[in-house]
Amino acid sequence: MSTTFKKRNILLWLLAISFITPIITLFFLSFSKNWRFPAILPQQFTLDNWSYLFFSGGNIAPSFLISLVIALSVALFATLLGFITSKYIAYHKYRKKLLMLTYFPFALSPVIFALCLKYYFIKMSLTGNVQGIILAQLIIAFPYSVIFFTGFWNQRIKQYEDLVSTLGGTTSYAFRKIVMPIAKSLILVCFFQCFLISWFEFGLTSIIGYGKVETLTIKVYQFITEANIFYAALSCCLLILPPVILLWFNKKFIIQQAK
Amino acid sequence: MFLEINHIKKKYKDKLVIQDVSFGLEAHQTLSILGKSGCGKSTLLKIIAGIEEQDNGDVFLNQKNISNTKSNERNIVYLFQEPLLFPNLNVFENIAFGLRIRKLAYADVVKKVEEMLENLELKDHAKKMPHQISGGQKQRVAFGRALIINPPLILLDEPFSSLDVETRATMQQLYKTIAEKFDITALFVTHDLKEALLMGDKISYMDKGLLEIFDSKKDFIEADKTGVKSEIEFWNNF
Repeated sequence: MSTTFKKRNILLWLLAISFITPIITLFFLSFSKNWRFPAILPQQFTLDNWSYLFFSGGNIAPSFLISLVIALSVALFATLLGFITSKYIAYHKYRKKLLMLTYFPFALSPVIFALCLKYYFIKMSLTGNVQGIILAQLIIAFPYSVIFFTGFWNQRIKQYEDLVSTLGGTTSYAFRKIVMPIAKSLILVCFFQCFLISWFEFGLTSIIGYGKVETLTIKVYQFITEANIFYAALSCCLLILPPVILLWFNKKFIIQQAK
Repeated sequence: MFLEINHIKKKYKDKLVIQDVSFGLEAHQTLSILGKSGCGKSTLLKIIAGIEEQDNGDVFLNQKNISNTKSNERNIVYLFQEPLLFPNLNVFENIAFGLRIRKLAYADVVKKVEEMLENLELKDHAKKMPHQISGGQKQRVAFGRALIINPPLILLDEPFSSLDVETRATMQQLYKTIAEKFDITALFVTHDLKEALLMGDKISYMDKGLLEIFDSKKDFIEADKTGVKSEIEFWNNF
């Protein structure tokens, strides 16, 4: 084994440990009780935290469901709309100007952006409900998706579309049979990333949600401000669960398919 | 005339790409269009195929004005510089693509594609994906995909420019054989002098958005602007 290979292996292990250790610590904490300084280990290992939060008034399960509904909706709408919109922008004569507009929501911080929009959300009765939060998060996720896909609509894809057309196929036929299969992996990656944007979103959600819509991220912040590290750790475990599943799905299906 | 082009003009922003192009082509003939890069050759083909819109002028195919017909309804196949095989389909499905659009019965599709694979000497590669075959084979698949739908007109935009010298010569020979066998009517764009002479029944030269068709290959060779004379002189003095 060469020295460079050994060094690379050590570096990979260090990276893996630095990623995995906080996650293991969170799981460890979520099953713990009464852990006071200077004790090295908690005095008690229990399922109480999990059962309290799920069954006795912790309201984690509804928050988990709400977060899942919001993130899946945002990811689905942002990916589909972004894919279609990016095509029109990419082939538009004012491509650069339109593309510059899509960067606007990122020029401001999400919190400031939410405050700017709050007036309109109140007028449209979109504050304090799930629909409002989906729309607010779409304002961030949709431009991201447009930017993500703009590079896809290059000269080669245009030539494929033109070729299908001269062979007798309609635009929708080219879209279904050629463009979509080519873009499949990218669409899944974009869906995954928009899901993450929505899943971990806090600023927009708390301002537009008025505290009435308690997503998992909002719950985690509540537990942290209450200084309940055990409940916060448990919520964090739930918070990282769907991204980990998606990451596994991403690795298993998308990367293997690309190979 | 089978194909008639009348006073085609095209401008991009302030640049006049095609000034005023008119010509005709008889059925089952190949017209070579020679010209330098950026002289408007590809734009002319794209206008005939319907994937670019002309600012002025008309295109007639078999006495029918197709100037406002959508490209997918013209039945004119445009072959790009690159083979552009669909990466998600294997060789068989790439060739069958036009037949699938026309919703032919499964048995007919299999029969026609197998015949085409035989003609193009690609039978052993039917199940391969585009990345598993060579550049020359890819170009043959692209030919097969165009020919299988029996289009009245094929537009070839420097189809062999990305191939090496040897494969290019093989493909030129294959094109001549296929053109004769399938009675092809085609416009063959190239910037290669030798290729223009070899491939065309008639030869034309395009420069600064204007097209001139020569009555004979002799006229083409003798014209100063085509560069044939200076090429001959170079080889004589070499």
